[in-house]
Amino acid sequence: MHRFGKTGDAIVGEKSVTELCRHAVDMAMKDAGVSWKQVQAVSAASSRFSGGKGWGLNGNDIVEDFGCTGIPVYNLSAGCAAGGNAFNIGYSLVAGGIHDLVLVVGGEVMPKGMIQTSGVADANDPEYLRQRCIGMPGPAFWATLARRRMFDYGTTEEQMAKVTVKARKCSESNPFARFQKAVSLDEVLASPYVSNPLRLFEICPVSNGAAAAVICSKEMARRFTSKPITVATSAVATIGFDDALPRSLAGPVPSGPSFHTEAKSAVLKAFERSGIGPRDISFTELQDNTCYYELAFPEEWGLCEPGEAERLLEAGETAPSGRMPINPSGGFVSFGEATTAMGVFQIAELTWQLRGQAGGRQVPDAKVGLAQTNGLGGNATAAILKR
Amino acid sequence: MTERYTMNEIANTAALREPCVPGLFSEEEGARLHGARCTCCNTPYFPRVATCRNPSCDESRIVPCTFGGEGKLWSYSVADFPPPPPHRYDQPFVPYAIGVVDLDSGLRVVGQMVDPAEAMQVGARVRLVIEPIHHGDGKAFTSWKFKLL
Repeated sequence: MHRFGKTGDAIVGEKSVTELCRHAVDMAMKDAGVSWKQVQAVSAASSRFSGGKGWGLNGNDIVEDFGCTGIPVYNLSAGCAAGGNAFNIGYSLVAGGIHDLVLVVGGEVMPKGMIQTSGVADANDPEYLRQRCIGMPGPAFWATLARRRMFDYGTTEEQMAKVTVKARKCSESNPFARFQKAVSLDEVLASPYVSNPLRLFEICPVSNGAAAAVICSKEMARRFTSKPITVATSAVATIGFDDALPRSLAGPVPSGPSFHTEAKSAVLKAFERSGIGPRDISFTELQDNTCYYELAFPEEWGLCEPGEAERLLEAGETAPSGRMPINPSGGFVSFGEATTAMGVFQIAELTWQLRGQAGGRQVPDAKVGLAQTNGLGGNATAAILKR
Repeated sequence: MTERYTMNEIANTAALREPCVPGLFSEEEGARLHGARCTCCNTPYFPRVATCRNPSCDESRIVPCTFGGEGKLWSYSVADFPPPPPHRYDQPFVPYAIGVVDLDSGLRVVGQMVDPAEAMQVGARVRLVIEPIHHGDGKAFTSWKFKLL
């Protein structure tokens, strides 16, 4: 992984996405004891913002940079879920016996400020219509969900702020996080609203960063290590027709609660395929674009009971030492979002946790980890890794 | 022309009001969203669609229809900072609330709220209206919004 940062800062400076990815890929190959010549295919997350020859061909940039060996490249596009999609394809290629060793990579150099639409005034593009006619950027989308949770469960702004306090406490011992300093409850509550009820410290900023992973067959893994981390499963899903929150302008009023149907579907599929249930999960890395998700997702996936998340948070159960650790890495709130790197960043964190290499943020005796991403267009992924 | 009219006069003069995107809504016969409904499964759509998207619908039978009237605020958010383009707004920027509204006709619609954020309450009754979102070139560019009842 390349530590996350912001364009112009001391961490990433003016590095291009290829430079960030080179660092991450080098580190992953060294960690695995693998040389570039042994890589049989690349599964890469496509960026809309940087590199990729303007066409999202980021995997081809990597192959050019490391040497054109003629291997197949898969460029995956799924908004912020692209890293998770790239991991899924890498896993599927190895599990399906097509390749023995695949490199998975995602990286991003993000433009400043709130993520914008394509810039094309196309009245057939629902995202254009939503921004032109309403003006509803990402944070407002998350704030709508958070406000509804406050109505349904009585969640307070203070409780949401406590999620950030917990996350930033974890980040202190993560050398790859952009922010590595704890924040107090007062500091979070003093940060300005970006979209009421969500505040600046409760929303992930945009970041630059990169992450990479090496997946190989069980037989081949024996050549490199006696203690491989196993991919129990990887799943991809898209949004359901009855989802609660319209992703464009409107939808039918759903008949029951149907939040984040793409994420729920991906995670439940992963449970079903692996035979690993929510109670077997030692820790979870989930997509916390905002602290709200740390409260809502675990309930929707059966990691805890509906309406129970706030109590678990306040009892310290979502911290690395708790019964239901969520985002021991510090999460998106500590890293910021380098969109297409995120699904792969989670795999790196899962691996370090399962090996017991996570230092001060280590989940004690971590055996099984769950990772989840969400992306524009109603995309989601889930992966379960075990030691 | 712009110097001879105040912003309010422009907004209140029908001939100077222009939809920010044409064809999506109208106000000549009251505030209406131009959508569609599948007469097979009764699913409402806005904007219009060519075919029914309900995976459990047996036969797509789409007819154009319009939506308006009243509904209930399901949830809301606030644009505390100016949103990026292609949205446009009058200077100086004034934060606005964005509602997700369940119209009585069965459509869940996202739209700006007319009233200030402090007045919002989940569950409040609202009505669809057409109101300006920004002014320019002597015109008031309109969109659909919701007003608290």
